Amino acid sequence: MRSLLSVAVCLLAATAAAVSTSGNRLLVLLDNVADKDAYNHFFGDLTARGYDITYESPRNEGLRLFRLGQRNFDHVMVLPCKLKGLGPNFTPSLLLDFVKAEGNILVALSSTAAAPVSVTAFLAELDIFLPSERTGTVVDHFNYDSVSAKEAHDTLVLDAPEAVRPGLKDYFELPGVLALPHVVGHLLGSSQLITPILRGLPTAYSYSPKQDPVVVDPDDLFAAGRQLGLVSVMQARNSARVSVVGSAEMLQDKWLDAQVARGGGDKVKTENREFGKRLSGWTFQEIGVLRVNGVEHRLVGDSELNPQIYRVKTDVSYSISLSEYVWDKWVPYVLPADDSLQLEFSMLSPFHRLNLVPSVTQSGATNFSRDFTLPDQHGIFNFMVNYKRPFLTYIEDKKTVSVRHMAHDEFPRSYVISGAMPWLSGIAATATGFVCFAAVWMYSSPPAVEKRK
Amino acid sequence: MTATDKLRSTGASSESTRTMLRVVILCLIAAAAVSSRLFSVIRFESIIHEFDPWFNFRATKYLVANGFYKFWDWFDDRTWHPLGRVTGGTLYPGLMVTSGVIYHALRAMTIPVDIRNVCVLLAPAFSGLTAFSAYLLTNEMTTSPSAGLLAAAFMGIAPGYISRSVAGSYDNEAIAIFLLVFTFYLWIKAVKLGSMLWGALCALFYGYMVASWGGYAFITCLLPLHTFVLICMGRYSTRLYVSYCTWYALGTLASMQIPFVGFLPVKTSEHMPALGIFGFIQLVAFIQYVRSVISGRQLQTLLAAIVIATFGIGLVGLVGLTSLGYIAPWNGRFYSLWDTGYAKIHIPIIASVSEHQPTAWPAFFFDLNMLIWLFPAGIYLCFQDLRDEHVFVIVYGLFGSYFAGVMVRLMLTLTPIVCVTGGMAVSYVLDIYLRTKSPVPEEVEAASSAPPSKKAAKSHGLRGSEKPSVGIFASTAKTSVVSSLIIYLLMFVSHCTWVTSNAYSSPSVVLASRLPDGSQHIIDDYREAYQWLRQNTKEDAKILSWWDYGYQIGGMADRPTLVDNNTWNNTHIATVGKVMASREEVSYPIMRQHEVDYVLVVFGALLGYNGDDINKFLWMIRIAEGIWPDEVKERDFFTRRGEYRVDQDATDTMKNSLMYKMSYYNYHTMFPPGKAVDRVRNSRLPEEGPVLNTLEEAFTSENWIIRIYKVKDLDNVGRDLFSAAAFDRGQRKKKLNKKRGPRVLRVD
Amino acid sequence: MAPKKNARESTPSAASTTNASTTTTTSGSAPAASVKAATTWDDILHNFCQHYLKQTPQRIKLIDAFLLFLAVVGALQFIYCVVAGNYPFNAFLAGFCATVGQFVLTVSLRIQTTASNKSDFPAVSPERAFADFVVCSLILQFFCVNFIN
Repeated sequence: MRSLLSVAVCLLAATAAAVSTSGNRLLVLLDNVADKDAYNHFFGDLTARGYDITYESPRNEGLRLFRLGQRNFDHVMVLPCKLKGLGPNFTPSLLLDFVKAEGNILVALSSTAAAPVSVTAFLAELDIFLPSERTGTVVDHFNYDSVSAKEAHDTLVLDAPEAVRPGLKDYFELPGVLALPHVVGHLLGSSQLITPILRGLPTAYSYSPKQDPVVVDPDDLFAAGRQLGLVSVMQARNSARVSVVGSAEMLQDKWLDAQVARGGGDKVKTENREFGKRLSGWTFQEIGVLRVNGVEHRLVGDSELNPQIYRVKTDVSYSISLSEYVWDKWVPYVLPADDSLQLEFSMLSPFHRLNLVPSVTQSGATNFSRDFTLPDQHGIFNFMVNYKRPFLTYIEDKKTVSVRHMAHDEFPRSYVISGAMPWLSGIAATATGFVCFAAVWMYSSPPAVEKRK
Repeated sequence: MTATDKLRSTGASSESTRTMLRVVILCLIAAAAVSSRLFSVIRFESIIHEFDPWFNFRATKYLVANGFYKFWDWFDDRTWHPLGRVTGGTLYPGLMVTSGVIYHALRAMTIPVDIRNVCVLLAPAFSGLTAFSAYLLTNEMTTSPSAGLLAAAFMGIAPGYISRSVAGSYDNEAIAIFLLVFTFYLWIKAVKLGSMLWGALCALFYGYMVASWGGYAFITCLLPLHTFVLICMGRYSTRLYVSYCTWYALGTLASMQIPFVGFLPVKTSEHMPALGIFGFIQLVAFIQYVRSVISGRQLQTLLAAIVIATFGIGLVGLVGLTSLGYIAPWNGRFYSLWDTGYAKIHIPIIASVSEHQPTAWPAFFFDLNMLIWLFPAGIYLCFQDLRDEHVFVIVYGLFGSYFAGVMVRLMLTLTPIVCVTGGMAVSYVLDIYLRTKSPVPEEVEAASSAPPSKKAAKSHGLRGSEKPSVGIFASTAKTSVVSSLIIYLLMFVSHCTWVTSNAYSSPSVVLASRLPDGSQHIIDDYREAYQWLRQNTKEDAKILSWWDYGYQIGGMADRPTLVDNNTWNNTHIATVGKVMASREEVSYPIMRQHEVDYVLVVFGALLGYNGDDINKFLWMIRIAEGIWPDEVKERDFFTRRGEYRVDQDATDTMKNSLMYKMSYYNYHTMFPPGKAVDRVRNSRLPEEGPVLNTLEEAFTSENWIIRIYKVKDLDNVGRDLFSAAAFDRGQRKKKLNKKRGPRVLRVD
Repeated sequence: MAPKKNARESTPSAASTTNASTTTTTSGSAPAASVKAATTWDDILHNFCQHYLKQTPQRIKLIDAFLLFLAVVGALQFIYCVVAGNYPFNAFLAGFCATVGQFVLTVSLRIQTTASNKSDFPAVSPERAFADFVVCSLILQFFCVNFIN
């Protein structure tokens, strides 16, 4: 009875949390709780997707990210603040600890408010750099919105993002345009965990209000063109996600469905709402989440599952089952075009690196499998699937097995090897000769004794 | 020894009484041999000692738990990570099988024993048998019945043998020395009788020896040598032929049954003398046969020429085949026997083992005491009546002492023959001075009573009768000589006891020290640390440490190790050496690649324990340099003036090496500022301790002897560990806008 | 060794060695030490055969036959090895060692049972020698069969 009840409770909790794979407690940090009204649609979407949102100001001293070593929230969204810092409860190291504890962070910036020091320092640790004066706005004299920023040219109108490189999932590829008012650009370091989503066009540059508005000294220029990141995402090694949006306003209600005109062209409706949904959905682990349902390896033709030890040069079959979470359900994972899931069979270095073949798709999972022959080398090997792609949670699945040598009775017997026949017959001849000799000797014994007398 | 004297005094008693006494004395000797080896158990506890025995112990446990065939095919995936070790095929199984058999036999007799106790007490038990076989061997040499007993007593308590056979020293040598002596006994017996059966027994025990210890090559070389010397002396006999051929044919086949030995007997140079002599003796036998049937002068000269030519061709063929690669040349360990400097230059890993060092001369006296000067006397006695078996003793003595001089460890092979000759010498003197009542009756008695061999009696008589009778028949001379000998023997006993209790009974896993008030203080850091590993780390956490501790970690902590005392893969050891000797930036990727979880170092500076890793560090560097001469250079670890220092003046390479950092990490916090002292190397350490970025301290034992570090994971947000550690220490990352240099652009 | 023996052999009645003392008939050639080698060889061979056929007990002949058989088997194996290579090395070793070992053991048996060698083996009677021989051979065959797998 009680167990039934607990199962029911679990199910209930599961449906409630079905929104995200990593929980639904969202903390939104903003200057004034009242500021949230500007984002009604955005937060409304989130609430509709099942999030339990807490709006707080960093001034609230009782607010803690952790309680007794456990996260109080699953996700944090930082909206622009007028504060210089975020106080002792949101220091860079606490934010890093939050990421380390698999919490996700979405940082939205705006050129109208300087980014808090704490956020700047935190992002710097992730290899994402904000302008040094903590302020700066991106200007593009060719791709601006002529409706709202006819003079300032600081509302960018860009085509929706396209993939950085082929072979990636297209979570952020949208038809249409995005409008980004008052953008703070950022620079990306060389960290491999970062993926830019939206970058400035070659004509964009970052402009600081303190600079001379006419001539920009190249040394003072923060960044320009494609190097200027506008929206970037980072996924830590534990698959916690951090996103940086250069323009918080783009998520505000008035920009979600605004009509914009690029550089004096025709008016078009922005895709900001969809973009906001996808970005928040990705950051809060609603899409792009992979799950390993199980790994099986076995000797070909043998029923024992996942044995600890194999023998050299035997045939082994390996399969891994993957599912992908898409908004609210697990579906079979489908590889993007031009991508493959690889299995390494490695000891110090891979002895095999094989493309796994996706096979029978059943009950929300894809099986990737492959048969191969173990190398002629004994040792401690790993079945290793190391699948790390931008936008997808990392899969690093390692199954350690020992590969042993041939046991003393597993070599082919001599009578199986034709080459050994001459020597086998040699032994046989010797042995029979010996037996005959011994018999004849015994037989001939009595006369011999007499003879020797 | 007093018992022996008693035996002499009862000279008139009957033969059966003598036999009875002999048995009793032998039992007493065996008891003395066993009990003198129990110091360590009494003083410490019933524990396996040192390093190698831990592996043997672990292997024995595996054997007992899984049975013989599993053991035979054992692939050990908890050592030499990630290579693993084909343990069943790369060990000498004799020791484990012996204790396994004893264990099961005792169990079958419903005596519940722990396998550990079987292992601990195996060496003392076999030392009793060794004493017995020394008695047998000596009895083959001389007619004096006391010589054997003396030799047995010497064998029982000689420190040179005790050093490897105290209780807990569960090593191959524990049974191998018994087998060595017994095989020699059987060989002598075979040569004397010319019996195939004894030859076959000799071969079987030789096979057992091969199964037990790598030192079997000593027998493999000594027996052919003996044969060869005999043939050269013109002492070829059909007995020799029968015994040698039987031994070789059966012994070689027996040795090839051991997987670890396999084809070596026909493929390596160590075994070639035996094969060569085998062929040679066929030739000699054939010629002898032909000559026995027909004769002719020309034929004989012709045959002599054939013999010499064949021998020459054989030698040339051997050299040729070796250079062509069909026969493996002498391996490194053997080379280092000829040229003691060889290993140091070419194979540092062999030279790094302390027991492979050349012997210092005091060690001879320390290990053998008065036997060392009785040894030449015994050899001299062998020359006196030079029969086949005496030639053997001489050859053995010659080679044994050479090898013992080259390698400390081989003192062990010398000890038996020294005991045998010592027993012969002492008994000879005692016989003369105790037996001779008066000149005339003695002659008669010696000739009539116990029938000693002719030659012995003759020489005896010569010495006894023709010298001025006053000397040895005077009671003063008798008493003085006998009493001085007795004093020597007593001194020998006390020396042996002292050496055994002080030098050879320490388990080296547990250290003992004396407190100021004289009481004993046990330093148990090793086991503390291994226990910590066992209880606090994952079952498959890989431990990186220098190879000395590999077996212990495997045995006591039960965790996989990268390298251990079975130094079969020099490159893997060099990798560990490189990790220790390099900067963190270099070491960390190597450790990640090898999936290392913890690093263990031994650090003796706090206690003044000088067997620590910093003192072994130079060997790690040398071994690593052997493989990566460009990345690790020994010279960089010495100061400009060529000193090996750890203090303020240490070189940067030294200070940045992982070993240095791990050893001295946080060490200065134990002392007031600037007062940190290294008690092993007597130097004051820098005020600032080293900084570790890629490792974090996990455990340090009570006396800081063992320090264990955990290898950090990659940083979660993709920083390198140096900046991550810097961030944790509160240093902010530099702002991106570097004023100098071109921008670093990101390319996607 | 050699010079001493040679000196002794150079006495005119050299033909009588220790155990060939009965072969007096053919020793006529001995005084003519300067006779050419060719005749000597013939003599020796003839002498040898005569000696062998007359003096050898039946059992020794039996042993010799067995030895011959073993030598042939061993030679065949050796030739095969030279011609065709020793591919399963353990099989080759086992086969060849078995033959050689058996040969050596048989030679030992022959030595021990030869009457003239009696003085060398005070402790070994022919029966004992044969028993030893059987034991040793069995051990040998066991090892070989085990080794050839």
